[in-house]
Amino acid sequence: MNGKDHALVVESTERLLDVLRDRLDLKGVKEGCGTGDCGTCTVIMDGQLVNSCLVLAVQARDKRITTIEGVGTREKLHPVQKALMKYNAAQCGFCTPAMVLAGKNLLDHNPTPSRAEIKEAISGVLCRCTGYYKIIDAIHDAAKEIAGVKS
Amino acid sequence: MTETEAVHKLPEAQGFALIGKRIQRLDALDKVLGLPLYTSDIVPKDALRVKVVRSTVPHALIKRIDTQPAREMPGVLAVLTAEDIPGLNESFAMLPDRPLLASKKVRCQGEAIVVVAAGDLETAEEGADRVSVEYERLPTVTSPVEAMKLNSILIHDSGNVAKYLRVRKGDVKEGFRQADVIIENTYTTQFQDSAPLEPEVGMAWVEKDGSITCVGSMQTPYYVQTGVAKVLGLNPDKVRVIQATTGGAFGPKSDEMPVDTCAISALVAQKTGKPAILEYSRHESMIAHTKRHPFVITLKTGAKNDGRLTASEALVVSDTGAYASLGPLVIIRACFHATGPYVIPHVKTDAYCVYTNNTMAGSFRGFGSPQVHFAAESQMDELARKLDMDPIDLRLKNMLRPGTLTATSQLVDEACGLEECTRRAIEASNWRSKRTEFSHDRGAFRRGIGIALMYHGNSLGPEGNDYAYVHVLIKPGAKVVVRTALTEYGTGAVSGLAQVAAEILGLPIESFELDRADTASCHETGPTVASRVTVIGGRATQLAALKLKERILAVGGDLLQCEPSKLTIKDALVRHLDDPRRAVTFQKVVEECYKRHVNLTETGFYTAPKCEFEGENSQGTTYLQYTYGAVIAEVQVDTELGVVKPVKIIAAYDVGRAINPLSVEGQIEGGTIQGLGYGLTEQLIHLDGMVANPTLGDYYIPTSLDIPEIQTIIVEYPGAIGPYGAKAMGEPPVDLPAAALANAVAHATGSRVFNLPLTPEKVLFATKRKI
Repeated sequence: MNGKDHALVVESTERLLDVLRDRLDLKGVKEGCGTGDCGTCTVIMDGQLVNSCLVLAVQARDKRITTIEGVGTREKLHPVQKALMKYNAAQCGFCTPAMVLAGKNLLDHNPTPSRAEIKEAISGVLCRCTGYYKIIDAIHDAAKEIAGVKS
Repeated sequence: MTETEAVHKLPEAQGFALIGKRIQRLDALDKVLGLPLYTSDIVPKDALRVKVVRSTVPHALIKRIDTQPAREMPGVLAVLTAEDIPGLNESFAMLPDRPLLASKKVRCQGEAIVVVAAGDLETAEEGADRVSVEYERLPTVTSPVEAMKLNSILIHDSGNVAKYLRVRKGDVKEGFRQADVIIENTYTTQFQDSAPLEPEVGMAWVEKDGSITCVGSMQTPYYVQTGVAKVLGLNPDKVRVIQATTGGAFGPKSDEMPVDTCAISALVAQKTGKPAILEYSRHESMIAHTKRHPFVITLKTGAKNDGRLTASEALVVSDTGAYASLGPLVIIRACFHATGPYVIPHVKTDAYCVYTNNTMAGSFRGFGSPQVHFAAESQMDELARKLDMDPIDLRLKNMLRPGTLTATSQLVDEACGLEECTRRAIEASNWRSKRTEFSHDRGAFRRGIGIALMYHGNSLGPEGNDYAYVHVLIKPGAKVVVRTALTEYGTGAVSGLAQVAAEILGLPIESFELDRADTASCHETGPTVASRVTVIGGRATQLAALKLKERILAVGGDLLQCEPSKLTIKDALVRHLDDPRRAVTFQKVVEECYKRHVNLTETGFYTAPKCEFEGENSQGTTYLQYTYGAVIAEVQVDTELGVVKPVKIIAAYDVGRAINPLSVEGQIEGGTIQGLGYGLTEQLIHLDGMVANPTLGDYYIPTSLDIPEIQTIIVEYPGAIGPYGAKAMGEPPVDLPAAALANAVAHATGSRVFNLPLTPEKVLFATKRKI
C-alpha cells in the first residue's frame, strides 16, 4: 500500500474502498456511487486502474496498491498534479484523486500519449465540473514535462 | 467589431495587476493532493449512521407505519417518525407544502417517512428494511398539462398551480395580424439530474450547552441553519452550520436537501446524544433530490417576409413534481427569457409552475433558462426554414442590441456583446461554407451545423433580495483572509473574490487564504446561487478591500512622511506614486497597524439596486445586467442508427469582464458538457411517477470519450453591476448546447426533434418521417 506493507484481517464481504478509507484512513479515495459507474474510488492495483468499490478487500491480498496519498507531496508533486494545478483542472475536487491516478498510470505505461489515448485513459472517471478539457490538457502537459526531464 | 476594439471598451484595462490574469485557484494544491476534507472524511468514530425509509409509491395515504421490528433489532439505536419532531415538521424552500417526514400522505416517490440509526450502516439499512409502511394508493397525475386542468386530481389542497405569471408587451393580436408568416410548435424537455459527484451528506452533533453543530455538503449554510432550527424547535442561534468541502452542487444543494440531511442527522443526534451522519446513496440522491424541471412550451411566432419578428405568444408549463421547491422562482426566469434574446414588439407569455406526482424539481444551474432557450432557438430555426433564410441572418436581423427592448420592455444598455459573440462564433466556425457543404451530404452519415443565442439575466433580479457580506481581514503576518458565507463548491468563485481583494490591496494572490463558510464566523449573506458570488460578492469584497487599503495607506503615509493620497500599493510594497523608491513593505505597514491598534478587519456589504418592473404584465427592468452568448455546434448523424456524434462546439460569451479567464473557461467548458449531456443523453425517466434509471450506469452523463472539440471565445462588454464589469458565468454556459445541437441535428437530417434529449430513437423517428 503506497509502498508499505500492511497486514490486515478483513471480512470476506469488506470492500477495498472501505478498508482504504475506514481502516487505513486514506480519505483521498472517494465514494460517488458504489456501483462502479463514477470512478471516484479509483486506485491503482498492480499497475491497473480499479474501482475500489467493486473490489473485495481479500482480492487485494499481495497486491501493490497506489492511492492519491502515495502519489505526491506538497514539496514534490507529481507532474500530473502540477499540471492540473496550472490549468485549474480541479474544480470541486471530488474526482481529482482518481484523475491524478488515471493520469499517472497512463504516463507510467505510455509516456507519450495522444489526446485520444488520454481521453481513453480517464474515461472510467466521471467529472461533472470541467467537461474534461482542462484535465486532458494537463495530462498532455505533464507528459511533455516528463519527456523534457528525461531528455 | 474586432478583438482590439473590444479591449478598448474596458476602462483601466491595461492597469490591472491581477484582474484578467490566468490565476491558479487558492485550493488547487490541496485538491490535487486529495487533501480537502469532505463531510464523509471527518466522521467521528462514535457517529451513528442514518438510513431513511422512503415512499415507494407516487401518491398514497399512509395507513400504517410499523416501526416495531426495527426498534427490536439489536444495534438499532433510534427509530424516528414525524411524531418525534420537536419543532415543525417541514422542509421547504418557498411554499409551505413539504414535510420533513411524511406521516399522512405521500405525493411522490422517495419521500422520507422513517429514520433509522445504528452504529454502522449495515445495521441501519437492515433496520430500515424491517420498517413497513402500509399505503392506500391514490390515482396519480404525472403530466403537468393534465395537472393544470380544472378536473385534475389534486396533489395539494391549494390546487395544482404553484405559480402563474405572465408577460404582456404591445398587442399580440396586432403583431400576428402584421405577420406574413406564423409558425406554432410545442417543445418538451426532460428531468435532468445534476449528479454532483459527491452525493448529499449532512452530519450533526449536540454540543455540551445543548446547541447543535451541523457539517455538510451545501451551498447556503444560513438556509440550513434556519431549516434545522425550525425542525428542532430551537432558536437559529443554537444551530451552527459549517460547510465542509463540497463535491459539486449545481443547484440542488441550495434548497431542501442540505436541510433534510442536516435536520435528520440533528434529530438523531438530539435523540441519542451521539453524532449522526446521513449520507445519501447515489440511488437515493437521484430519487430524492431536486432536478431540472421538465417543461412543455408552446410557441407561436410571427414574422414579416423579410424575417423581422412581429409577435410571440408562449405558453410555458413547468413540472415541479410533488413539491414546489424553487419552482416558483424558476418559472419567473423562464417566463422572462421565453422569447430568446430578440426584439419582438408584441409579446404574450403565460407561465405556469405545476405540481404533479413526479419527484421534486427545483434549483439547477440555468434555472429555467436552458428549457426556454431550447424552445426559442429551435423555433428561430423553424422560422428560418419557413422563410428560406439562413438561421444566422434571421438572428442578426432580430437580436438584442444596445438601445433595443427586451420582452419585458427593458432597455438594453451598452453592455450587450451579443452581436460580437455571434459574429465571432460565425467566423470561428466557418459557418457559411459549412452550412452549404454539409447540406450536400448524402448517405448514412450526415453532418450538420447549428447555432443558438442566449441572454441570461444576472443574479437574482426579481427572485429575491440581492446582497452579500464579505469579510476581509489582514493577519499580523500580513496574510489576508477572505471569509464569507458565500460558498465554494467547485467553481473557484471564492478564489475570485481573493483575486478582487488582491487587486485592490496590491498583493500577490499567494498572500491570501480562504476560510470555511461557517455561521459562527460569517455574516448571513443570502444564498450562493444564480452565479452571485462574483457579481454581488465581488462588489462586497471590493468595498471591504478599499476600506482596508485606506487604513494601510494612512499608516503608510505616516511611515513615509507623505500624504496617503500620494501613495499606492503595488507588489506588496506601499510606495510613493511619483517616487517608487520611497517605499515600505506591506508587511511592515501591517505590523505598524497592529502596534497602533488600527482595525484590519473589514466587512464589505453590497446590496444591488432593486429591479423596477410592473408586476401584472412584467414590464420593466427585470435584471440589472445580462450575460450574452452564441454557441455553434457541429454534429455528425448516423441516419441509420439515429446516433448523434457532436464534433465541435464553439462557445462565445460576453462575460463582461473575465476576472480569471482560466476559471471562466473552466465554467464554459464544464457547463457546455453538462448542457451537451442535457441535449443528447441525460434523462431521468419517470414511469407513472417512479424513477426508472436512478443510477449513473443507467443515467448517462458525458464521459471523456463523449466530448467534442471545443473552442471558447471570451467577449467583454463590462456590465453595470459586477466588479470591474464582471457578469455571471457559472450558470449561462449550460443554457445553449442542447439548442445548438438540436439545430445542428435538424440541419443534418432535414427534420426536427421537438423534445429533449435527442436520443437515437427520436432522431431516427424524425428522420424516417421525413424520408
